[in-house]
Amino acid sequence: MDHILQAHDICKNFVGHTALDNVSVDIPRGKVYGLLGPNGAGKTTLIRIINHITAPDSGTVTFNGHRLTAADVPNIGYLPEERGLYKKMKVGEQALFFARLKGLSKADATKSLREWFDKLQISDWWDKKVEELSKGMAQKVQFIVTVLHKPELLIFDEPFSGFDPINAAVLKREILELRDKGTTIIFSTHNMGSVEELCDCITLINRSRNILSGGLHSIREQFAGHNYEFTFIGNPDMLAGALNPFGSNFTLGAIDADGNATATITCADSQAARPMLAAANEAVDIRAFRRIMPSMDQIFISAVESYNSSNPAKQ
Amino acid sequence: MNSPLSIIISREYLERVKRKSFIISTLLVPVFMVALMVAPAALMLLSEPETKAVSVIDQTGKIAQRLHGNGEVTFATSGAQLDSLRQNHDVDVIIVAEADAIDRPQTAITVYSRGSLGIATDSYITSQLNRAIEDVRLDAYNMGNIRQILREVEVDCSYPAIRLDREDESASSSAVSYGIAMFLDMLLYMFILIYGQMVMNSIIEEKNNRVLELVVSSVKPKTLMLGKILGIGSVAITQIIIWAVIIGACTIWVTPLMGEAVASDPETMAMFSQLSDGSFLASLLVYTLLFFIGGYLFYSAIYAAIASAVDNIQDAGQLSSVATIPVILGVVASMSVINNPASTLAVWVSIIPFTSPMAMMARLPFGVPFWQIAVSMAVLYASFMFLIWLCAKIYRVGIFMYGKKPTLLEIIKWAKYK
Repeated sequence: MDHILQAHDICKNFVGHTALDNVSVDIPRGKVYGLLGPNGAGKTTLIRIINHITAPDSGTVTFNGHRLTAADVPNIGYLPEERGLYKKMKVGEQALFFARLKGLSKADATKSLREWFDKLQISDWWDKKVEELSKGMAQKVQFIVTVLHKPELLIFDEPFSGFDPINAAVLKREILELRDKGTTIIFSTHNMGSVEELCDCITLINRSRNILSGGLHSIREQFAGHNYEFTFIGNPDMLAGALNPFGSNFTLGAIDADGNATATITCADSQAARPMLAAANEAVDIRAFRRIMPSMDQIFISAVESYNSSNPAKQ
Repeated sequence: MNSPLSIIISREYLERVKRKSFIISTLLVPVFMVALMVAPAALMLLSEPETKAVSVIDQTGKIAQRLHGNGEVTFATSGAQLDSLRQNHDVDVIIVAEADAIDRPQTAITVYSRGSLGIATDSYITSQLNRAIEDVRLDAYNMGNIRQILREVEVDCSYPAIRLDREDESASSSAVSYGIAMFLDMLLYMFILIYGQMVMNSIIEEKNNRVLELVVSSVKPKTLMLGKILGIGSVAITQIIIWAVIIGACTIWVTPLMGEAVASDPETMAMFSQLSDGSFLASLLVYTLLFFIGGYLFYSAIYAAIASAVDNIQDAGQLSSVATIPVILGVVASMSVINNPASTLAVWVSIIPFTSPMAMMARLPFGVPFWQIAVSMAVLYASFMFLIWLCAKIYRVGIFMYGKKPTLLEIIKWAKYK
């Protein structure tokens, strides 16, 4: 697979505290890559290393096949979690200042800024001072500043904090559009819902270590187990009897207004699914049958908890 | 105009120059300064000189007629008794000279006054009494032409001071050099304190606004530091030029008011004639400017380093004495340097970059060997470059240490990271 960025065996220690312990991540080109983990796990430190703001104590960062250097920084757009703007400056002037720092000419910067301002419907803010903006409004400006110079790699650290659902949706749309144009996006967040919506791959960092990495689908598959859900009309006892040979933990759910009932069952493996469905079909009217996939929230919690219980914290 | 450095400089510059506080302070400061210059002269012109009436009870009969009044003191011989004079409120001062006052003036003369006399009046009365008694004593020797002899032997020795180490042997007045040196030192001191702290605040403000991570991900810390220092330096130059123009204009307008006071002051006139010496002035100007700028750059880099290492303005306040104390030391050292501009101490303090700008301000008007100027300037500017490099490192490490202070080892490691 073509990787835009590879960080291998990264270690980073602060005084009396290990931020990253042998962490490796490979970021595939043109994907949205989720960087997840509990607070203080080391995500932001890793992002700063990838972004050439901090140096790792050991390990290598490769960007586009060569060692990451300061010269690569213009090809990376970074929206930090701790972000602010110059309070006294006007929005337009400020956006122009950052755009020009990224190497755009004044004319180009003005032109694409105007386009982005129109796109996000904030054109009338151009001459406002930043101190007059709300947090969400300032975030939009920061987002534009980050993506304006069309970097190959974008890093967003908690991009949706401070946004209402409508604006968050606008931003998600823009992020996916950027990906479809070929930009690689690293996306760090605690919001698992947005991970499910946006990410192609994820890495879960916990206690300074990479404890889970891979494609979103294969990870969900890995955590899924063989739990199935029936939506049906008919006698629940008939269904329970029919399913008995195939699995355990038969649980009956509530019946909705249309008379649909739900039931879940856990099987030993995926081989059981087809004969079980056939048996159930004889017993009741099946309206829906699906394998239950875990949510990212559940995966996050179960991965972190199982890691923590098998690796008690050092004192 | 598209390098990151020039973009940062122009932002720092325009942001400050456009602020209302800048415009107000730029316009008000010269007004205050001119007011300070004019106020004493104006007060002197406006207020009537107060005359002290002195009554002399002269039991010797020889002193009173030898006392001569001036604008502020009038002497009058009085036959009245001390007690009755005391009641007379038209009399400000009473001098009682007893009969043996000529022989024992310390014990036989008493001066009574209503309220404090003031130094000038007091010393005038004393000098008049001294002269009068001397006069009486001289008469006692009965040497006919003694006064003429005294006049003939009187000397007023004012000599032209010629510098042996200068080719043009131009005369230089050390009083003028002294004045220039003091003025430049004070100017540099103020300049460093005001604008150096502006650099410091500007960096801390970025930390407080959380804007620095956006900035740092766009530009190298070294460029950011240099941009801030040069941008604020340009603000300083702009402000000083405006001040100079306004003060100059006001002075021209005000001078007729002060008129005679300036024209009749010989030292002022000497200063002006000294300043019209072209080649001396040109080299003085160039070197002064270079040390002035060097001093600003060096110290603002120190302020920048302080700002890099702290998170908020409170911590910075304590640390900023690291910069303030050497500046004050430099000014104090240059006081002694002014008195002995060629001493070993003078040479050393003008090479150490912490004190060299101030010391050189003090020494330059007296003339400094070229090699010393060259060494001092090289050390100063090299130190500046080193400091900028260092504080870019501190800055980078300092931001991301979760409030922990960077260790020397970490700074060294950072220095190697490309």
